[in-house]
Amino acid sequence: MSFWEEFLSKLSFGTLITLQLLTVTIPLSVILGILIGILRVYGGRIGKTLANLYVYIFRGFPLLVTLMIMFFGLADIGIRLTPYWAAALAIIICSSAYQSEYVKMSILSIDEGQSLAAKSLGMKRSTEIFYIILPQALRVALPGIGNEIIYMILYSSLAYIVGVNEIFSAAISVNSIWFKPTEVFLVTALIYLAMTTMASYGLKKLEHRLWIPGFETRRKS
Amino acid sequence: MSGETVLRVKDLYKRYGDRIVLKGVSFEIRKAEVKAIMGPSGTGKTTLLKCIDMLVKPDSGRIWLEDLELTDPRIDIGEARKKIGFVFQEFNLFHHLTAIKNVMIGLTKVKKLPKDEARTIAERALLKVHIERELWDKYPAQLSGGQKQRVAIARALAMEPMIMLYDEPTSALDPQLTGEVLEVIKELAEDGMTSLIVTHEVGFASEIADEIMIMMDGKIIERGDPRKVIHNPRREETRRFFSKILKIGDESR
Ligand SMILES: Nc1ncnc2c1ncn2[C@@H]1O[C@H](COP(=O)(O)OP(=O)(O)OP(=O)(O)O)[C@@H](O)[C@H]1O
Ligand SMILES: [Mg+2]
Repeated sequence: MSFWEEFLSKLSFGTLITLQLLTVTIPLSVILGILIGILRVYGGRIGKTLANLYVYIFRGFPLLVTLMIMFFGLADIGIRLTPYWAAALAIIICSSAYQSEYVKMSILSIDEGQSLAAKSLGMKRSTEIFYIILPQALRVALPGIGNEIIYMILYSSLAYIVGVNEIFSAAISVNSIWFKPTEVFLVTALIYLAMTTMASYGLKKLEHRLWIPGFETRRKS
Repeated sequence: MSGETVLRVKDLYKRYGDRIVLKGVSFEIRKAEVKAIMGPSGTGKTTLLKCIDMLVKPDSGRIWLEDLELTDPRIDIGEARKKIGFVFQEFNLFHHLTAIKNVMIGLTKVKKLPKDEARTIAERALLKVHIERELWDKYPAQLSGGQKQRVAIARALAMEPMIMLYDEPTSALDPQLTGEVLEVIKELAEDGMTSLIVTHEVGFASEIADEIMIMMDGKIIERGDPRKVIHNPRREETRRFFSKILKIGDESR
């Protein structure tokens, strides 16, 4: 096999794995981030404390360390995850902690009057949260969540540390055989660039669709 | 005017920290009556209205809406609030909903009416406040202040409240937009809507109110027939208050 043959075949396989990893981690981390964000505002004493603790811990750990804990640490106490699931779990946990920050801030940014008006109509707390506050707050949070999704694409490459055969690990392994770092890492970088470009485009489209006059949902970048 | 009592407020007290904002407020409103509350800034007018809708919990005193005691901690406060329409100084329309959806959401999510029925009621309420069809699908940010406040009135009205509370409904509006809002409030009052209105519009209050209550420093210091309270008050403070706001009013004309 020539260099390019081997490189491209390994790389396309790696891309597939990375995409697979992202299709699991992106939606789950967004959903979890939203839930934790809600808990951090409306969770009552216990819910707030637990959610804040979660964020405090996993925003304070480097993703790399969380990854090691999920793979080696959990194995030590008898929970054996495949490299793929250890990586997915670490990314979901880390990213949802960040996502929840955007969600919490956006909920708190909704002015008090919205809540008063909802209450004055006789809405229950849950109705107020789901039909009045969240539809507005999530629009405000969308640019931040979007940025976090872009980061997630990039730091999915850390999964190679625990042996997931994603793009970056494919690049490393091809390079160690052929030693052509310029070609290998340039092409690898372009693939990440293509993925983030596509994600940006999708997010723009989504922001456009959810746009409401009077709402600033443009991503600040 | 003598009908059944719709709202009864008895000896209401409210403090924020060490500041007592309401110091024993009592009054009643009968069916179809219109009462105006006037008084300087920071004297507890907004706090009073919020207490009536239980958006703020009074420290002591009692409030009844007909036979239902709102200050009874065992009642379902959501049930009670459905029957009280609240119009805010800053409109507080739901930013993410169109005009008609703003009016419909209380009907579908609180009264649990089917969508088409809610829509019919919402359309009727919007027409009642002179919001025409071409504005129904606009978002709040696309409406003028006067239009926003009229949609907010329609939103409260659609719930078929027993009483409407207005908290300075025109204070956030440009002077040329206050007229259309006051007109709507007046029409509703003339149709028999029981109303409690906090306002600084002296002419408007004297025109539509059955009684004006002057609030100062957490107390109602004077109440009575509008013309008498405005032009021939018993209290020196009331006289000073009106001479001050009438002068400001003249300058802004
Ligand atoms: N949530 C709060 N916490 C602490 N103090 C408050 C709160 N709400 C109101 N106050 C204080 O209570 C007093 C009465 O406020 P309120 O808003 O009822 O006055 P107001 O008569 O409506 O005044 P304005 O004409 O300016 O609207 C003010 O001094 C205000 O600063
Ligand atoms: Mg006020």
